[in-house]
Amino acid sequence: MDRAAKDKALLDRIGIDQIARNARARRRGQLGLALVFMSPALILVVGVLLVPVLFNIWLSFTKWKKFTGFGEYAGFANYERMPGNPFFNEALINTAIWVGASVVFPIALGLGMAMFFRNLRGAETFKNIIFIPRILAPTAVGVLWFYVYAPDGLLNRGLGLVSGRDVDIGWLYSDATVTPAIIATFVWQTAGLVMVLLLLGLAAIPKDPIEAAHIDGANRWQIFRYITLPLLMPTLLMVTILSVLAGFTVFDLLWVMGANYPGQRSLALAVFMYFEAFQKGSWAFGSAVAVIIGLVVLCVTWVQTVLQGRVDRMTR
Amino acid sequence: MKIKEKLLGTAVGVMLAAAPAFAQEVQLFHDKGFWSEQLQSVGDAAAETTGVTITETPYANAEQYKAFVQASIASGETPDMFTWWTGATFAELVSSGQIAPLDDLWDEMINSGGYGEASKELFVVDGQTYAVPLLLARWVVLYNKPLYAELGLEEPKTWDELMSNADAIVAAGETPFLATVHEGWRGFIWFQELMLRMHPEAYNGLNDGSVAYDGQEVRAVFEAWSDMYAKGYFSDPRSTEEFNDYVRGAGAMYLIGEWAAGLVVQAGVPADDLGVFIMPNAIDDAPAAVIVEGSPLVVSVDGAQDENVMKALRFWVSDEGANAWGDATGNYIGNNSAEAPNAIVAEVNADIAETSATAYLRWWEAVPPDLQGELVAEMNRFMLDPTMKTADDVMATMQTLNAAYWADQ
Amino acid sequence: MAFDISTLDLDAIERREAAKHKGSTLKLFAAIGFALLWIVPFYFLAISIFKSSNEYSRNPPLALPEGIAPLWDNVTRAWELGSMGQAMMNSAFYGTVGASLAVFFAAMAAFAITRLDIPFRNGWFMLIFAGTVFPFQMYLIPLFFGYQKLGLLNSHMGMLLFYTAICVPFPTLVLRNFMSGLSREMDEAARMDGANEFTVFFRIILPNTIGPMTAVFLLQFTWIWNDMLFSTVLGNRLETRSIMNALLVFQGSYSSIGPNIVLTAALLASLPSIVLFFLLRRHFMQGLQVQQS
Repeated sequence: MDRAAKDKALLDRIGIDQIARNARARRRGQLGLALVFMSPALILVVGVLLVPVLFNIWLSFTKWKKFTGFGEYAGFANYERMPGNPFFNEALINTAIWVGASVVFPIALGLGMAMFFRNLRGAETFKNIIFIPRILAPTAVGVLWFYVYAPDGLLNRGLGLVSGRDVDIGWLYSDATVTPAIIATFVWQTAGLVMVLLLLGLAAIPKDPIEAAHIDGANRWQIFRYITLPLLMPTLLMVTILSVLAGFTVFDLLWVMGANYPGQRSLALAVFMYFEAFQKGSWAFGSAVAVIIGLVVLCVTWVQTVLQGRVDRMTR
Repeated sequence: MKIKEKLLGTAVGVMLAAAPAFAQEVQLFHDKGFWSEQLQSVGDAAAETTGVTITETPYANAEQYKAFVQASIASGETPDMFTWWTGATFAELVSSGQIAPLDDLWDEMINSGGYGEASKELFVVDGQTYAVPLLLARWVVLYNKPLYAELGLEEPKTWDELMSNADAIVAAGETPFLATVHEGWRGFIWFQELMLRMHPEAYNGLNDGSVAYDGQEVRAVFEAWSDMYAKGYFSDPRSTEEFNDYVRGAGAMYLIGEWAAGLVVQAGVPADDLGVFIMPNAIDDAPAAVIVEGSPLVVSVDGAQDENVMKALRFWVSDEGANAWGDATGNYIGNNSAEAPNAIVAEVNADIAETSATAYLRWWEAVPPDLQGELVAEMNRFMLDPTMKTADDVMATMQTLNAAYWADQ
Repeated sequence: MAFDISTLDLDAIERREAAKHKGSTLKLFAAIGFALLWIVPFYFLAISIFKSSNEYSRNPPLALPEGIAPLWDNVTRAWELGSMGQAMMNSAFYGTVGASLAVFFAAMAAFAITRLDIPFRNGWFMLIFAGTVFPFQMYLIPLFFGYQKLGLLNSHMGMLLFYTAICVPFPTLVLRNFMSGLSREMDEAARMDGANEFTVFFRIILPNTIGPMTAVFLLQFTWIWNDMLFSTVLGNRLETRSIMNALLVFQGSYSSIGPNIVLTAALLASLPSIVLFFLLRRHFMQGLQVQQS
């Protein structure tokens, strides 16, 4: 008997349905086992993270406040209150500034440094130095920079030395300077990570096309613009999204460095939400603000997925 | 089934009967971390006298503490014994129905002769008293005695004298008043004082919506305040070390609660160098007045059923308790049969007895809690840029918030 | 090929070489200058911890300390005022136990997702990974009240529970990607020999996954150590508060504490993660690489 005939005989004997049934049974058996393996992770994630998220969404449609227990249904009332709140509007504007700044500065600086340090002698040392701030907790970084920006602190004294007269700027006390000052600290802390990630991306770019372009007489800018940059696109995109999410949800730095700034509650949506919920006891309204933050984060993630797909197709 | 139930009942009964024998400890929740050790020393003193230890349980941050208490009450698990704030937020707390009235205890306290009716008033909501004082602090001016002596100055009895003292201090190259925005809550201190001294008739109206934050009284206060800043009367509002600043002489006079006397001495000022006076009125023949901060110590309805909790509370208000607390911190709780905790408190007591000053509730407690944080932030904003331009903006914002709040009520 | 050396303009070549060399020296100096600027805040931190409060307010911020004597006083005061010993123990407990459990659970889940024959393979994964999608703000209020209701607020167990949960999804992603790249031959062979899935997991998959597990463990440990928000909200009491929360205390209750002491506290709180980084730099960098995938 040849092979095909043998298989056919076997199939006839057992029956295709039976084989499918067996396969399903095996999978069911494996599913039970798989659930045993997955259950700790599933229980934790669903119980401690996902259920609270649903609860938060539900809360945002209630009237819950202060000492009263869970309140009655309030429709979109909490959401309708937002635009009329001056602190919410300021927080929204500041958050937008944060998002813009966290796209531009860490990426520009990180990319610049990556290109600069790439072929430098002793690059390892420089990379480590630039990266170190990233290991520290944002809380500790905030405390350190709080004193750098203090009225008689490092920055004012430094500017005084350079300009030759007394500088007395309250960096963290005035509307005009507080957000830029904290953004500078954020960039100081995160640019190192961006640089390291981009260096990893750069290292993965094949050398051949660059050498070929070199031989064809392309200059360094052209090589960067038409070869390196497109090949770096996937990494760049990933880094940008990480940076946007970090900038959008920044809290610790604002909490520590903005502690004495009268407008602290409007420094960002995340801070505003904390103040509304934990300082004023407006639990339902605070939940609604959290939902808005969540929606924006979901949008950013969605944009990432779409762009990622597009970049993948482009580079393939 | 029956037997089982019976057994279970017996077991529970035994446990209940046995419980007091073990639970000789009462937890006191609070947000005053800087008095942790001192509170515990009172708690240990309580153990010696009554056999019930008060174990203090501090929260590091007031917001988190408030949230914790709110959440506990919302879920029906009110702590047995905890501290709160007087004023509107106190009424709010009592309205939860979870706080035990303490009128019987107050009858005992007043009959014993140590406490006056006036200190009780701070804790009355709808005719019932719901707390005993953790602290009663009059808001006064602490001042640098050696500097006063050096410049030949006297404690001011009138507003004009206060201002001329300030001018003399400025002329000597020093700064008259210490005031910062540190920690975000201090902005109201000078605002309330100027309000009370210049427009006592409008002081209480601020907190029931009848006086506007951009009305003429408030405007007058901001003008005076801005003027004082322009004359160089105030220290740098951005400092983060107020007590150290006082020690270093960054300001000759320090408008603050009496409780700060102990902290300033702790930070290094010799107790003898510290003087005190009550801020004089800015208008002629206004009655003597003083701003009072009362910090309530409350027990829950369940806590009041627990004899250990009540034992601990009785110890707290007793002379031994007041003395232990006074020794540890210099804090006064209104018990006049106990020893005055320090010379500052004794002098303020004497001044108040002499002038029979009326007590006014601190703005911080009197303002509706929903407005508290946002309004004080605006006052801080003014202190950081004390011009009338900022003041106009600050007043407008405060009134917008105030009007919106009262429109909702 | 004949090469006539006399046709070369040697001067020009020399000039070009010199310029090239000069360019790279310039670049090096620029890099050094930039790096110095970058670490000025660290220098400031390093000298401030050697100053007494008095000295700090008297001398310029970048002036060298007058001696090293105040350091000990700064450390002890920071340590005592912030109850930092207790806080370090707490954070070390949350960090080591929480991150270990999370990585282990993630490995188990990743094993089931990649090695077992189950329906909706991707669905299960997305369910776990959904834990990284939402911003932290959405967890705060529900967890605060849920914890209060369940008596978990301000308890070590409650903190550990949250930290373990929040650290599960990301390692699951990393380990899933890693395990699906592992060859199947070994575990098939083991199954042929009658090994059950538990044996396969513990004896074959886990030993081969130690590298990436260490890397994600380090990332998660650092995250827990550095967390301020959740430990403020869920464990604010002295017995349960984390090291970052202890650091925050200096911003609050004590207005008589000088910057020298606060900065010392900030350094103390950061020391463990700095030491860990320099000891295990390779693993950290590996962690970054996996973050990218």
